[in-house]
Amino acid sequence: MSETSESRLSIKARLPVFLRRADPAVLTAFGCIFLLLLLGSLYSSNFLSPDYLLQQLKVASFLGVVAAGMMVVILLGHIDLSVPWVMTMGAMMACAAAGFGEIGAAVAIPVGVLSGMAFGLLNGLGVAYLRIPSMIVTLASNVVAQGLMVVYTGGFSPQDSAPNAIRWLATGALLPGVPNAILVWSGVSAAMVFLFTRTAFGRAVYGIGNSERAAFLSGVGTRRVVMIAFVVSGGLSAFGGVLLAGYASKAAQAMGDPYLLPSIAAVVLGGTSILGGRGSYFGTVAGVILITLLQSILSVMQMPEAGRQIVYGVVIIVMLLLYGRAPPSR
Amino acid sequence: MTTAEIQATSPLFRMEGVSKRYGGVRALENAHLDVEAGHIHAILGENGAGKSTLIKIMAGVVAPDEGRMLLDGQEAVFRSPAAASAAGIACVFQELSLIPDLSVADNIAISNPPCRFGLIDRRAQRAIAEEALARAGAEDIHPRAAVKDLPLSRRQMVEIAKALASRPRILILDEATSALTAGDVAKVFAVLKGLRSEGLALLYISHRMHEIAELADTCTVFRNGRNVASFCAGTRTNGEVVEMMIGREYSNVFPPRQQHSAEPGKAPVLECRNLGWSDRLRDISFSVGEGEVVGLGGLEGQGQRLLLLALFGVLRGTSGSVLIDGQPAAIRSPAEARRPPRSMALIPEDRKTEGLMLPMTVRENLSFAALDRIARGGVIDRGKEEQLIDDMVRLLEIKTAGLDVPVGALSGGNQQKVVIAKWLMREPRIILLNDPTRGIDVGTKQELYRLLRRLAEAGAAIVFYSTDYDELIGCCDRVLVLYDGRVVRELEGDGITERALIASALNVEAAQEGTVA
Repeated sequence: MSETSESRLSIKARLPVFLRRADPAVLTAFGCIFLLLLLGSLYSSNFLSPDYLLQQLKVASFLGVVAAGMMVVILLGHIDLSVPWVMTMGAMMACAAAGFGEIGAAVAIPVGVLSGMAFGLLNGLGVAYLRIPSMIVTLASNVVAQGLMVVYTGGFSPQDSAPNAIRWLATGALLPGVPNAILVWSGVSAAMVFLFTRTAFGRAVYGIGNSERAAFLSGVGTRRVVMIAFVVSGGLSAFGGVLLAGYASKAAQAMGDPYLLPSIAAVVLGGTSILGGRGSYFGTVAGVILITLLQSILSVMQMPEAGRQIVYGVVIIVMLLLYGRAPPSR
Repeated sequence: MTTAEIQATSPLFRMEGVSKRYGGVRALENAHLDVEAGHIHAILGENGAGKSTLIKIMAGVVAPDEGRMLLDGQEAVFRSPAAASAAGIACVFQELSLIPDLSVADNIAISNPPCRFGLIDRRAQRAIAEEALARAGAEDIHPRAAVKDLPLSRRQMVEIAKALASRPRILILDEATSALTAGDVAKVFAVLKGLRSEGLALLYISHRMHEIAELADTCTVFRNGRNVASFCAGTRTNGEVVEMMIGREYSNVFPPRQQHSAEPGKAPVLECRNLGWSDRLRDISFSVGEGEVVGLGGLEGQGQRLLLLALFGVLRGTSGSVLIDGQPAAIRSPAEARRPPRSMALIPEDRKTEGLMLPMTVRENLSFAALDRIARGGVIDRGKEEQLIDDMVRLLEIKTAGLDVPVGALSGGNQQKVVIAKWLMREPRIILLNDPTRGIDVGTKQELYRLLRRLAEAGAAIVFYSTDYDELIGCCDRVLVLYDGRVVRELEGDGITERALIASALNVEAAQEGTVA
């Protein structure tokens, strides 16, 4: 074993420093992005224009915020399937709050995010304390959120439109030419990188993902960490929903449905192990951009929705085959 | 029967020069074994003597590296447990292998259910089960009862019936009676003697000397992976058998013991009163003073690991009380155990799954248990982390290519040092060690012994479980010997001898020169 690691080292040693330290999966994901852009530019030169790229980053930022939360949970070895309706709920609650005049509009974003965090808390309690598999808990809470929203709206799209603050956050441009959504995503990303690399919580997340038993025996409050992770995921899902409502200027039924699979796919494409414990945040960023570009190019090429779904699914399975399986432990 | 007579008849099963290595550890080396039809053959040996490897090879669970096996004089190679079973070798293991939610009949016929048109023929299956149960002397168990509804001793009987259902010619029993009540043991013995007269060969592994005395026709003693002696039962005394199991091959250099004298009037750092957990730990009371190293001895699986886990707050529903510095301490989780002023540390049993996160870096692993001391407001103080890690790497002389390599790339000894270092970063006062020298090289072992002594001299209270008797003798001020979840003997100072340890581990008096059989 030591021989193979030495020979691997010697190959690695010839690479420049930033490449040597990078995760091969992250490099692959960025490589795929360039490949997609190259293919796209053969089809139409518009694919390389700054306008198109900024537009793609803006669209990607909604998915990016959701995927950031998903990544925390996946690093633990869990999954959050409540994303679609927690997103929708966040959007609807924020718009509903805006219906209560000035004060309502001011607290619209916190209301939306807090409703998502509350659902995340329920998920977290179920997973960490009641020991129900996360797949089941979050699937169930997704349906509960859906039911609540159908009761609230009567099954129709709510009439409240998104307040100006939310619209500005999603579509405005604080810096000329750079959509605010991209800045928001950058802010969330900076916070996630800090969380993963500099905080005790981040270390605990990786530790639990690698070996929950070892983390517990090290005296880490594993249940609390798992619970907080689900709260973060719920909050970021709802925040993604809020941004999406600002982009579309109103909330709509099932608006979060197209985000579940892409958010999981983005995390996994970025090299995060679906079994937990391994993965870097930059990989998730790459995964988000890759998926958004894939979507965009497929639609420009007139690929029908069904075809896009098939392509996602196949891409995820292929990536799982490449990275998702645990390496031999000995 | 004399040795000459044994050799005159050709054995049913023979093992010749069989060796098995796991990594650098020789589990079995050049082992020979003859198993006769119509005999009960007892296998004796202390922890790690190679008994379980021997059984696994016979049962086709692991393949030997060298040597060969002969069945009826024909060379036999078992590529899987199913192959061994087809050749007529059946095992009854200590850990039950039954599926709790299935019925007794389903379990008995699980490997080879009778089928009609591709479906399980339940009537035939029931008949098979009834016959097997009758053969095992357990007619009282209903074949349709669910296994989970049966008490442990009945389950063990089902296990024996299951082994018999495959109509074996060689039956291996590994600690098969440890879960049984005295009445059941008597019944099982009658059954085993019946099987012997039917011409089966039985291989019987047990730590209970009196059982071997009652049952066995032939005994083989294993030590350090070699068979050191085979003899007819009843020709050696208990004392002689214990001597054979000990042997003397290597000696480790242990640091000198400090003369330990407890300050009068000072409460012990750690005290345990009537600690119990389910029926696996019973009524355990002991105390550990400042600067004292207390060993836990005995055979494997007698409750030593559970005791450490119970002290560290991992087990739920323990009875009795734990006192720290004379104050009652209710410790419900490792997080509570490690918090000052308790400041406990546990070096767990399996460093690969319990002590370390192998894919994570040396740095991340080292600081993992001490993050609350390194971080301010949840944010890691990198300077402080670096400082503490550097100190530890130097103190323990951890050999690593860097702090950012995965800890899994380190050698076993250095991995174990990382596990210990990650706890020393918390400056623990009570250190619990669960067999910390398992699978590490002799040099690192000696470093660990010296470290333990240094920590004790600095005032730590240490509880040290080891499966290696030499370590207990060389390192400990006192040794508690556990048997069946109880402390059966406490040895102190010069009273800690290998002879005393093994005798009390087997729960026999070594002084008593009774014969085997």
